[in-house]
Amino acid sequence: MEEDGSNSIRRMSTRSRKIAPKMAAALASSDNRTQAILARLDALENDNAATEAVQQIDDDDDEVSLDDDDDQVYQKKQSKSTKRKTRQAKALENAKKASRTFLELLHEANLESLPPHVPSYLRAAVGPPSSSSSRHFCTVCGFTANYTCVQCGMRFCSIRCQTIHNDTRCLKFVA
Amino acid sequence: MSNVVVLDNGGGLMKAGIGGERDPTAVVPNCTARPLSSKKWLVADQLLSPTEDLTSATLRRPFDRGHLTNPDLQSTLWAHIFANLLKIAPSQCSLLLTEPLFTLPSIQRSVDELVFEEFNFKALFVADSPSLVHLYEASRRPYGLVSKAQCSLVVDSGFSFTHAAPVFQNFTLNYGVKRLDLGGKALTNYLKELVSYRSVNVMDESFIIDDVKEKLCFVSLDVDRDLQIARRRGKTNLFRCAYVLPDGITHTRGYVKDPEEAKRYMGLDDGASLDSLEKDETDRADIIGKPEDRRTIDLSKNEFSMTNERFIVPEMLFRPADLGMNQAGLAECIVRAVNSCHPYLHPILYQSIILTGGSTLFPRFSERLERELRPLVPDVYEVKISSQEDPILGVWRGGSLLASSPDFETMCVTKAEYEELGSARCRKRFFR
Repeated sequence: MEEDGSNSIRRMSTRSRKIAPKMAAALASSDNRTQAILARLDALENDNAATEAVQQIDDDDDEVSLDDDDDQVYQKKQSKSTKRKTRQAKALENAKKASRTFLELLHEANLESLPPHVPSYLRAAVGPPSSSSSRHFCTVCGFTANYTCVQCGMRFCSIRCQTIHNDTRCLKFVA
Repeated sequence: MSNVVVLDNGGGLMKAGIGGERDPTAVVPNCTARPLSSKKWLVADQLLSPTEDLTSATLRRPFDRGHLTNPDLQSTLWAHIFANLLKIAPSQCSLLLTEPLFTLPSIQRSVDELVFEEFNFKALFVADSPSLVHLYEASRRPYGLVSKAQCSLVVDSGFSFTHAAPVFQNFTLNYGVKRLDLGGKALTNYLKELVSYRSVNVMDESFIIDDVKEKLCFVSLDVDRDLQIARRRGKTNLFRCAYVLPDGITHTRGYVKDPEEAKRYMGLDDGASLDSLEKDETDRADIIGKPEDRRTIDLSKNEFSMTNERFIVPEMLFRPADLGMNQAGLAECIVRAVNSCHPYLHPILYQSIILTGGSTLFPRFSERLERELRPLVPDVYEVKISSQEDPILGVWRGGSLLASSPDFETMCVTKAEYEELGSARCRKRFFR
């Protein structure tokens, strides 16, 4: 009997372990939401991000084609892996050359260390709104939305919009 | 001849001209773009020529979140402007430059390097936009409240962000400045996103969507009512409006299909209740005839129609929380800016709110702001909001005025002083 009881307790403990990943998943899903919101706000500050990536590849091609004139034979002999390496190196160089974003500069400026009475970029931000209520608009059609997607937290107003949401944009901003 | 170059270096548009003149010589986008078809990057004014096809052009801006982060790109843009548009030699001129509030020291240093070491300007004066707007408004109406009290609240809603800044005796009170991280760029991107989801993919068409935003967006005075109107079908939907995308052959710029149709919302009364409106509209629709005429989509043209997007987009300035942003709206932003000043200034600040910046150009912007602001302000204070005559050029005109004042030369930092003292100590002269 006693053994059984201890067994059941053990079982309980294994069960709770089984629950834990579920909890973790739930936590992750809520994280998905904040992640989605942040990514969305970040996307609002982009200029043509998609084309920027394409453009970088273009640049690489240009440089390669310039090299071609000098040592075509040599390049043909080279294995693919080394060619990739040079590309990687070039990408690294480009990253070094590329201007830093404002957020990086802001982080570097270390404004948190200023005494509280000094007005700074961080303290000039308007801060959270006084009422936490926000209106919800359907992300599909734009009208008032009563429902929330359980996965990503975006809003929709009807079944029709929900299917569109699930098909096309659910978790779009989560990497 | 005055040889002061006035440059309002905004994130979206650069306004450049010679001090003392009324209007800037050049108002050009502060970016470079490369159309899909070519390998050449187009700079500033070349983007404005009607023959260039900017469909899906790749864009690069020297500004990130309103601050100068790419000095190399900025220097090529400046060089182009100084040489080709203004036709001046920088080494013969002084420069009056605007800079966003709370620019980081590292960015200030790179700007100084650009001005003195790369372009060799004789002298530099750095101003912030609210004080220039105040200066301009005060000089325009010498007997108005702004110039008598020497005090105003400048609301500058620009390309990258929106500032509510109290100005007192020509100095921006930087402890009172409040910033809302939403501006024209975010609104354009938001509209891009909405249109791409709902009709055509325009994620790469910044220039076109900018144009759509400027021509079709407006601020709603009653969002709930307007949302219901936007839901209607056919002619009774006052907001539906089509925009024709460029096809690259007959027209390289997009246009509003029917400008009359786009203006129908103007007829809406403020107080009109929904029922009476509905009746009214159905009557009118009967008289005009079949509602089908305009609804049929012309397949030979690539177009999309907009309804609620037209007012939901500027709406975000008033309620950023709707976008998931943890920031207060513009009205609250103004109240907080005023509250951080001395109580004696409160009544005057509320009476002298000046709107400037491109994002205040949305129709009915000031009416809506007044409606939002009134309940938040103690009722003993009067609220008076005035828009600038030309919100985009207002800052530049203030700068031009300042540059032509007799004391201007003495306020500048000269190249010799910069070389002697360095960037950080020269900056102290600008009291910011």
